[in-house]
Amino acid sequence: MIAPKYTAPTSLADALQLKKESGAEARVIAGGTDLILRMRDRVLSPSLLIDLRALSLGNIVLGDDELCIGTSVSLSQVLENTDTQRLFPALVAACREFAGPPIRNRATLGGNIANASPAADLVPPLGAYDARVVLRSAGGERVLPLLEFFTGPGQSVIEPDEILTEIRLPLMPTLSAATFIKLGQRRSMAISQVNVTTRLSIHEENVVSEVRIVLGAVAPVPMRALAAEQIISGNALSDELLCSAAQKAAEEIMPISDVRASRSYRVEMTEVLVRRALFATRDELGRNATDG
Amino acid sequence: MSELAIVGQWAASPGAEEIVTGEARYCPDIRLPGMLCGKLLYSPHARARVKKLDVSKAREMDGVFAVLTHADVPGENSYLYAQPDQPLLVVDEVRFQGDAVAAVAARDARTADAALAAIDVEYEELPGVFDPLEAMQRDPDSVMTNQVYRSGDVAAAIASADVVIENTYRTQWAEHAFLETEGGVGLVDDDGGITVYSSCQAPHRDRMQIARALAMPESMVRVITPYIGGAFGAKDEAHVQIHAGLLAHAARRPVHLIRERRESILTHVKRHPFVVEYTTAATSEGKLLAVKARAIADAGPYTNSTHEVLNKFGEFIGGPYKVENIEVEKIGVRTNNPITGAFRGFGAPQAAFVYESQMDDLARQLGMDPLEIRLLNGVETGTKMYTGVVVREGTAMKASLNKAAEMIDWQSRDQLEREPASHLRRGWGVATILKGSGLGRGLSDHAGVMLEMHRDGSVVLHSAAADMGQGITTVMAQLAAERLGVDMASVRVVRADTSKSPDAGGTSASRQAMVSGNAVLEAADSIRNTLLKLAAGKTRIEMDRLDLKAGKLLVDGEPHELSVSDLAQRAGNWGYPLHAESLVHFEYPSDVPEVSYRYSQEVFQFCTQIAQVLVDCETGQVSVERMIAVHDAGKMINPGGVYGQIEGGVAQGIGYALTEELVVQEGHTLNPSLENYVIPMALDIPEIEMEVLEFPEPIGAPLGAKGIAESPIIPTAPAIRNAIYDAIGKPLYELPMTAERVLPIPDGN
Amino acid sequence: MAETQIAFNINGNQEQIAAEPNQTLLQLLRDELGLTGTKDGCSSGDCGACVVLLDGKPVNSCMVLALQAEGSSVTTIEGLAKDGELHPVQRTFGEAWAFQCGFCTPGMLISCYALLESNDNPTREEILRAIAGNFCRCTGYQGVVKAVQQAAAELRATNSSEGAPDE
Repeated sequence: MIAPKYTAPTSLADALQLKKESGAEARVIAGGTDLILRMRDRVLSPSLLIDLRALSLGNIVLGDDELCIGTSVSLSQVLENTDTQRLFPALVAACREFAGPPIRNRATLGGNIANASPAADLVPPLGAYDARVVLRSAGGERVLPLLEFFTGPGQSVIEPDEILTEIRLPLMPTLSAATFIKLGQRRSMAISQVNVTTRLSIHEENVVSEVRIVLGAVAPVPMRALAAEQIISGNALSDELLCSAAQKAAEEIMPISDVRASRSYRVEMTEVLVRRALFATRDELGRNATDG
Repeated sequence: MSELAIVGQWAASPGAEEIVTGEARYCPDIRLPGMLCGKLLYSPHARARVKKLDVSKAREMDGVFAVLTHADVPGENSYLYAQPDQPLLVVDEVRFQGDAVAAVAARDARTADAALAAIDVEYEELPGVFDPLEAMQRDPDSVMTNQVYRSGDVAAAIASADVVIENTYRTQWAEHAFLETEGGVGLVDDDGGITVYSSCQAPHRDRMQIARALAMPESMVRVITPYIGGAFGAKDEAHVQIHAGLLAHAARRPVHLIRERRESILTHVKRHPFVVEYTTAATSEGKLLAVKARAIADAGPYTNSTHEVLNKFGEFIGGPYKVENIEVEKIGVRTNNPITGAFRGFGAPQAAFVYESQMDDLARQLGMDPLEIRLLNGVETGTKMYTGVVVREGTAMKASLNKAAEMIDWQSRDQLEREPASHLRRGWGVATILKGSGLGRGLSDHAGVMLEMHRDGSVVLHSAAADMGQGITTVMAQLAAERLGVDMASVRVVRADTSKSPDAGGTSASRQAMVSGNAVLEAADSIRNTLLKLAAGKTRIEMDRLDLKAGKLLVDGEPHELSVSDLAQRAGNWGYPLHAESLVHFEYPSDVPEVSYRYSQEVFQFCTQIAQVLVDCETGQVSVERMIAVHDAGKMINPGGVYGQIEGGVAQGIGYALTEELVVQEGHTLNPSLENYVIPMALDIPEIEMEVLEFPEPIGAPLGAKGIAESPIIPTAPAIRNAIYDAIGKPLYELPMTAERVLPIPDGN
Repeated sequence: MAETQIAFNINGNQEQIAAEPNQTLLQLLRDELGLTGTKDGCSSGDCGACVVLLDGKPVNSCMVLALQAEGSSVTTIEGLAKDGELHPVQRTFGEAWAFQCGFCTPGMLISCYALLESNDNPTREEILRAIAGNFCRCTGYQGVVKAVQQAAAELRATNSSEGAPDE
């Protein structure tokens, strides 16, 4: 690893000022589980590391209509937090299957987002819950939908002088359910071959008001299967509808072949996983409805 | 002699406390004053000519103490496992992605990296050879070895058979993935000799190789093994310890050379991938008549253990079955793919995947129960194998089949749902195998120990048997303690040191418990004899009424007031030596005629495994729900070690079966990391249900114990393959059986 | 290269030491503090051989920069025994043959110790989940489950006898 300078500023303003002055030469570090690896492999050689540890970006705060999660919140924190468990179970499920405990104790939501891997496990569930991310700079702040953050593998809209500080999750409509399914080569420490998150919100018996089908590891960026969502939106949740949406989703993706899976396997598995996730989400809606 | 007090009992290993406190020192933990950091420069190409190699800039760098190329090797610039065709440092052509080109020793890692970067090397890439079948056809010189073994009349047997089955099988490169990567620490002694701490399996062979590379007499070279963090065969042939010695010699300072994980995966030997055309001929009742195999192994560029692995493959390709007609063609081909070498099983896992898969294909074709067909053909005590070897103790073959079947309730297994959900299918598969222990008839299989009891009854045991976790240290301590009547804690086992312990040979071929075990018994008996003679003299009781146990002298089985340490004290006072050095050869009976297979092994590890799998028919993922493993140990000396070896071997077998695969394209390894070379972890392995049988080996084994180190990894892949076949009706002929290869599921399933 | 002094608590002792920005906690422990009990199996967070406790939580020390440990408390394998007495789980690991070569053991023990600190009666599933980031190639994981459950039973017995109300 090339040796950068290191600093752990105690205020966000200081951190933003540093970022403004150094631009792309400086990288922020939270858990470091991606960054340290890339520095070791010389993929990245920042001249300055700005450690976020002394900033208060590690809180989960429940407001009236949204849950705000600081980008330095670790995956273990998300797993253990009662609000995330109750309100965003698909996100918690994604955290539970992520790597292993030592990684989860360090890896952060912000890191998983900033790393911008097409296979990021946490992005699809966050996206399915309509997460927005807050980008701060010395000059101000902008808020955008999470899925608009990514522009390509490892690429995002973040400017050199910006830091991701917060993820905002709007509280879901009452009759909502979501499912996360990951396909990996083993049950821990696995990079997704395909991952899928589905969310359904209904306002009348069985008629869909909101649908999200968000896919990972099947395109250059995490993506919504918009055409598949269209099939479902505003309609009653029949088996045929869900199956047809799953088939459509598999047509919308742009996967590659790599050491973990071939292109054609990813296409096949997208249909399987989306179908299973949709059915599971519908089942859960049924359970929530009877639970009252 | 009374009942065994220590042998067969659960006992923590002598090094347990060091390990659990973090005090155990492995090569990477060794710290010496003035120690330098050694690194190697490896070829990025699979095949290339070295056009230019200029190390002058690196040599001149501040903090760099030595830079070596082939020209700087004082003696033999080769690894010397078999043929001297792999250079320590490449001369003119790199032949795989991982050939070493130069070596540096510098004040620290950063400087060593800078020195490597300052080496001016230019390559001219050459067309490489990556497909062994194609290579054979294009260039006969690429065939490293082609041996045919025949017994009986295969053609006639096939012609007369009711059923003939032919299939082609493929197996993959497998990576050992020991936790401690290869390492060595070299230092120069005061008198100019060289000492190397080596993470290795064969210290005396390492010594020979280091001495030859340095052009020094062996008397000036010493090899010590610290704790070793796993090996599984990959550290049998030397790796970086010779370079550590060379660098220390050149720099006149201690040098620490430890491979990083990525380097390790790219540069050390792998399990040979095989392509096997296999024919089985049988009667309509399921009786095997003949077996014919044509096996092509991708050897990589260098010979290493290719001949021996192919030899073992051919020795066991008929399975643990009565087969009188066999023909096996064993071909090794040179390519520019990863280098190959020893890996637990040594050709037997590849063979077992072939013959046990074919047994199920045969059973299916004949409408027979897979268990029944195996019992019908299984060897027994007294069976003469096709190799000419007579099975001296063969009860375990059928006993392990029957026991495994009982443990899973084979006859009633269908009572558990075959279709627990519309997309899930459950199935069961059995595999039964044999593997030999020991180096084989015609080779000298010997080991020695040095044993000494001190005046206070404490014991020191010097052995050069490398313990890389498989537990030989514990076994030797148990045997010594048992025979000398002391407790385990009184026996200090000194780790392998060529200046202190006699040659014990390599830790391989499941041989150490047998051969070093015998050496310990012989040395211990010598000391025991002296103690009992002294006791007889003092007590005026005949020796045959005396025994030693739990620190005491026993008379007619009852404890006497004299303790073992009293006797030791007496021996010390009166000048009776309590010191013994033994050298024991494993002897094969000479009365067995017609043993026609070269280096045949004759002590058999029979074992059976049964897998219960659940297949997800839409994703192709296979989950192993239950794994039954029944192994014959002859005599279980160290239960903790035996069960640990079985569990660990089965876990490796599950990986070999389902997910482990080095992905190589044009000689380049695409997944040289523990992230992308997928090994099952804690959540992927079921609780392994184990049973250890004890059918004592009648000849030459200590208390009847035979090694079991290799057998656990051998039946797992075919057992899982057969279970998948049972679940979804699809036979698989290629390893690993990844989700993509399991799909598509045939119709009707 | 700029060195920074950092202060942190290591195995109960306050330590002040110079660290470089590109140094990992693993390197600091092994190379500067001589604590070679924690092992390097891959330097990429894939094997768990380097697991230590950072503020009570198991982490891969190869994936933490030394400077990030400033002000924290770190526990390594060398810190599990107290006053020369092995922690019950260290002892049961040996008795149950939960290791063979031992290279994965320090990291594995830390993960198990952390589990036992928060769960006094872990199930097999909970233990396997706790060690899902610790790779063992020699022995599999059954011995670990056995050792942890044995240690848990011992700890429960000790705690209940210590906490028993006076008669």
